[in-house]
Amino acid sequence: MQQDIFLVGSGLTRFGEWWDKSLRDLMREAIEAALASSGLQAQDVDLVIVANMLAEVTNNQAHMASLASSLLPHHPPALRVEAACGSGALAVNTACAFLESNRAKTVLVVGVEKMTDASSDAISQALMGAADSELDAPSGLTFPGIFGLIAKRYMYEFGLTREQLSIVSSVHHKHATENAFAQFRYELSPEAVSASPLVSDPLRLLDCSPISDGAAACILSTVHRSGTRLAASQIASDTLSITERPTIVSFPATRAAMEQALREADITRKDIHALETHDCFSIAAVINMEDLGFTKEGEGIRIYEDLHAGRTPLWVNMGGGLKACGHPVAATGIKQLIDVSKSLTRGRARYGLAHNFGGAGATCGIHILENTHV
Amino acid sequence: MNNSAPIVQRAQKRERDKFLPGTVVSFTTLSHPPARFGPRPRVVGLIELENGRRVLAPLVADAPYIGQTVRPRMRLSHVTHEGLRVYEVAYDEAPQVAITEAFSRYLLAFTGPSGVGKSTITKMLAHACSDYAAKVPILTTRAPKAGDDGEYLYTTSAEFDRLKNMGEIVAMTDIPSSSEDRMYGYRAADIEAIWDAGKIPVVVTEMELLQGLAHHYGRRAVLSFGLLPPGKSKRARLSQLLHRLRSRGRESEAHIRDRLKNAEKDLAFFGERKDLFDHMVVNEDLSDLVASLKEKVPGLSGA
Repeated sequence: MQQDIFLVGSGLTRFGEWWDKSLRDLMREAIEAALASSGLQAQDVDLVIVANMLAEVTNNQAHMASLASSLLPHHPPALRVEAACGSGALAVNTACAFLESNRAKTVLVVGVEKMTDASSDAISQALMGAADSELDAPSGLTFPGIFGLIAKRYMYEFGLTREQLSIVSSVHHKHATENAFAQFRYELSPEAVSASPLVSDPLRLLDCSPISDGAAACILSTVHRSGTRLAASQIASDTLSITERPTIVSFPATRAAMEQALREADITRKDIHALETHDCFSIAAVINMEDLGFTKEGEGIRIYEDLHAGRTPLWVNMGGGLKACGHPVAATGIKQLIDVSKSLTRGRARYGLAHNFGGAGATCGIHILENTHV
Repeated sequence: MNNSAPIVQRAQKRERDKFLPGTVVSFTTLSHPPARFGPRPRVVGLIELENGRRVLAPLVADAPYIGQTVRPRMRLSHVTHEGLRVYEVAYDEAPQVAITEAFSRYLLAFTGPSGVGKSTITKMLAHACSDYAAKVPILTTRAPKAGDDGEYLYTTSAEFDRLKNMGEIVAMTDIPSSSEDRMYGYRAADIEAIWDAGKIPVVVTEMELLQGLAHHYGRRAVLSFGLLPPGKSKRARLSQLLHRLRSRGRESEAHIRDRLKNAEKDLAFFGERKDLFDHMVVNEDLSDLVASLKEKVPGLSGA
């Protein structure tokens, strides 16, 4: 990083199904919480970056940047970024570019999604906008379908069993019981996951992250300081369509972003203790562990087996991941950053990592946070 | 706008034009596909086509598996609210044909207009591959002519009719001519004899006889070559034929005119009945042509 950037404030709504809260309400709640936690005045914010994917489709609302700016009394300049489920990480990365170049000193990044107003078919179609509309969608494929293809191929290549895969959601649900902002704060046995209805063979309902409403905001600054510093902010891209990739059991964008981020932070994997990874589907959580380099190819499930047995020193998705905490698409990447910072503070660890991707790993953002008090 | 008919149409055009078979990389069954596909589960496969490209498409094989060979076929996908019928490419199991030995009882057919060089080609082929192939004689009711080179068996109209009525003739034609009435045909016995000798029967033939053979033995029993004279336009091809017919000096100008008239029909037939031809070859350089035929005819490659 060319400048020291600090996470000086953060705020979340609880993720879930909020019939009585609008897109604006959710955003306001997260922004107010972030400002309150930072101790800054709204006027200290000199740029707002909004992460949002679906507002035009599900809320009939474009021009999200101005909507966000409307929520601050001085209406600072605002812009919106979009990279599907990876919008949150992209927004933070964009904020870093402004901060590092001194175009802004204090940036409010807010991710928001209001998904439950639309029917599940409409949401499913809208989410397919994160894939290739001409190469992927016409076949009738949905996102659970894309990850169903990935899971089936992964099982074929590496012999992962259904029973093993069910551990992933079970671990995430267990972690979410401790998270006041999580959508599902109850435990789930692996057997219950295996017995849930099939969505896209071999993936079952409880392998899939839910449709959620929610917002997450954080304030990044080069002039105000805190104990949490951004050590790296990197993004990488891949082909939009899975048809244009040589393999579907690994996401090269994750691998690329991870290498760049480690280099930027000048650390190794061993320095990282807290991880928030993008577990939109349980199979993604398994593949992420491999792509991030914490285990060998085909062995991602071992980390979850260790987590399940309480054997690993690595803290993975302590907020419940996307599965149990909820997945209001563009808010997720920012929520992950907040969860990593909480894990670092609570566990008195130095480095933590947030891994957020859009589509089937077509855009990947990785942020490394440093707890400067350790 | 999401997945409107034009999007689907554009998206599939490229792959449909290629229409290639492929291998299943992965597949999944969507329990609740998008509403436009109806309520039934839908199997979608990631298919690696023969040309290395990958496509996502519905898989309609009964019991799909990774590594399965599949072939494309068009089917009605859905009807839009506006009443547009949207078709899609779906992939189905490729029939598993166990090939235990080369299919021996097939015919090699050369079809083309007069003057294209059929006789020369078959002579060269017979010379180069006499151990493997033998020419089927043509039974005809016309009188022998100078220039005939042993390819005909001459008979009377009465005998021809008798054989026809007994079902001994597998294909026949009455080649229209202003100068004489003549029937041509192939006898089953001649073809059977060549097969029994372990050789490939070769017929140098024309459109009606080719159709007759394909009808009698089945289209797949005929390895069919269409022979084209060189030239890019119809006019250039016909003039090439005229030149060849005149230069071989066998026939009167009236006969040549007849043949040219038929040749025009023959050239049109190539376009109309593409299904009857496995390969179209241009007779430009005879030695190249025979070499390329050898490549295309199973059983001749060693000749």
